[in-house]
Amino acid sequence: SVVRCQLCPPQRALQVSAVLRRVSDEQKKEPFASSSEQQFESHSTDHQPEQEPQGPRPSYTGQGGQESEDYESEEQLQHRILTAALEFVPEHGWTAEAIAEGAKTLGLSVAAAGMFHSDGSELILHFVSQCNTKLSELLEQEQKLVHLGEAEKKPTDQFLRDAVEARLRMLIPYIEKWPQALSVLLLPRNIPSSLNLLTSMIDDIWHYAGDQSTDFNWYTRRAVLTGIYNTTELVMMQDSSPDFEDTWRFLENRVADAMNMGDAASQVQSTGEAVVQGLMGAAVTVSS
Amino acid sequence: VYQVFESVAKKYDVMNDSMTLGIHRVWKDIFVHKMNPSPGTLLLDVAGGTGDIAFRFLNYVRSVRERQLQQKLKHHQNLSWQEISESYQEDKFKSLGDSHVVVCDINKEMLKVGKQKAQHLGYSEGLSWVLGNAEELPFGDNKFDVYTIAFGIRNVTRIDLALEEAYRVLKPGGRFLCLEFSRVTNPLLSRLYDLYSFQVIPVLGEVIAGDWKSYQYLVESIRRFPPQEELKAMIEDAGFFKVDYQNLNSGIVAIHSGFKL
Repeated sequence: SVVRCQLCPPQRALQVSAVLRRVSDEQKKEPFASSSEQQFESHSTDHQPEQEPQGPRPSYTGQGGQESEDYESEEQLQHRILTAALEFVPEHGWTAEAIAEGAKTLGLSVAAAGMFHSDGSELILHFVSQCNTKLSELLEQEQKLVHLGEAEKKPTDQFLRDAVEARLRMLIPYIEKWPQALSVLLLPRNIPSSLNLLTSMIDDIWHYAGDQSTDFNWYTRRAVLTGIYNTTELVMMQDSSPDFEDTWRFLENRVADAMNMGDAASQVQSTGEAVVQGLMGAAVTVSS
Repeated sequence: VYQVFESVAKKYDVMNDSMTLGIHRVWKDIFVHKMNPSPGTLLLDVAGGTGDIAFRFLNYVRSVRERQLQQKLKHHQNLSWQEISESYQEDKFKSLGDSHVVVCDINKEMLKVGKQKAQHLGYSEGLSWVLGNAEELPFGDNKFDVYTIAFGIRNVTRIDLALEEAYRVLKPGGRFLCLEFSRVTNPLLSRLYDLYSFQVIPVLGEVIAGDWKSYQYLVESIRRFPPQEELKAMIEDAGFFKVDYQNLNSGIVAIHSGFKL
C-alpha cells in the first residue's frame, strides 16, 4: 500500500510561532485535512506511530523563524492535543473539558480547546483513527511473522475473530463513555468521516485475512464483517461479564454464522441483513 | 475618542439597548457562548468598560462549575463520608473555580460605571478593573487564556498595535475573540441598515443622551471599519492561527476568533 504523504505548505512564511514545534527530521506526519471537510483516512500500514518524546513542550522560538517549513502545522498540533486529551476521557467524557485538560498537559492554555467542536467530535474521530492505525500495525506484524514462518496462518474465521476482538479491546479503557461517543459519531455532520473510518478498517481486516476459503465477493465481505463488528460492539456496551467473555462468545457465533453462508442466495440476504442490522443497532443505541 | 466616551459613559447601556433594539444582549450572549470558557480561565476584556462581557463570563463559568460539581457528586456515591466531606471543603470556596476576568478600559468613567454595576448586580469575586490602553497594555507577556474586545476595536487608532498587544499578553494556546460591527452581506439589508444608522441613531443619541455628535461619530466609525476578510488578515498578521469569523445577523456584527499557537 502506498504511503500518502501530503506536504502541508507553510501557512505563513515568516511567522515566529509561540508553540508549533519543529518536526523531527525523519518523518513528516500526515496532516489533517482542514476541519471544515474532514476526510479521515485510515493510515496506511507503513505509517509510523507518532513518535512523541514523553511530555512534549511547546518551544518558544528564539530564532528569526526562517526555517518555518520545519515547524509542525496547526493540524499536527491539534493531533497532539487530542492525543493528550484521551487520558482525561474516562473522567470527563468526550468533551471540550477533556480537550482542555489535554491542552494543559502540553503547556497550552485551556482556551486552546476552543479550536475544536464542543461536542468532542474531533476527539472521537481522532481516537477511532488511532485505533484503526494500531490495528493495522498489529495485523501487519502478524503477517510478517507468518511470512517468516514463525507463525501459522490462521483460518479465516479465527483471523476475523481475533482481529475484531483486538480492535474492540481498545475500547475497554473508555467503555463507560463509549455509548456517548457512538451517538456523536452518528451525527449527520460526522457520518461521512465515521463511515469512512469504519469501512477502511473493515477493508483492512479483510486485506490481511488473505481469505481464499470463502467465495464471498468484495461487497459481501464488507457488509458481513461490518455487521459483525457493529453488532458485537453494541453487545459489548451492555456486557458486564468478566473480561467481556459474553461478547467474545457472541462474536464467535456471528463469525461462525457468516462462514456457514454457503450459497449465493443467503449471501445476498445476509449482505442486506448485515447492513440493516448495523444501522438498526446503531439507531437503538442512539435512542436509548 | 476619549471625549466621546466620557460623555457617553453614563448613558452607554441605555443607548446600546435603544440603538440595537436590545439585540446587542443576544450578540454578547452568543459571544460568550462561543468562548465556552471553562472554570479556571483568566480573561482579559479590553475596552470592556461597563462590564457586559465580564458579567456574562462570570455567569457562564459559575454555571459550568456547578454542573462539574454535580457530576463529581454522582461519582462520589461510593466514597466514605470522610472522603466526601473532605472534597466539600475543597470545593466550597471555589464557586468560580479560580476563573477571573480583568476588565481593561482606557476611560475612567466607563470603568466607574462598570464597578457600580458590578456592585449593584452582586458580582463580588473574580473581577478586576484596570485602566489601560489597548495599544499598550499594562500587563506582562503570556498571561491570559482569553482576550476579548467587544465593540471596542473600531475605536482603536492603531488596530495593528492592539492586535500585537493581544498576541503578546495571551498564553500559548490562548484565544483572541473580537465582537464588532462589520460589513452587511445582504444588499437589501444593507440599504435598510444604512438608513437606520444615519437617520435614526443620531436622533436617538440626541434624545436619550443629549449628544448627537458622539453618535454620528459612532455610526461613521462603523462604516470606516475594515470588513470581515480584511480584519481576518490583520489578525493573522499579528501572528494568530486558525483565524475565522462568524457573521451574526447577516454581517451587522461579526465575531472573529484566533489562537496564539
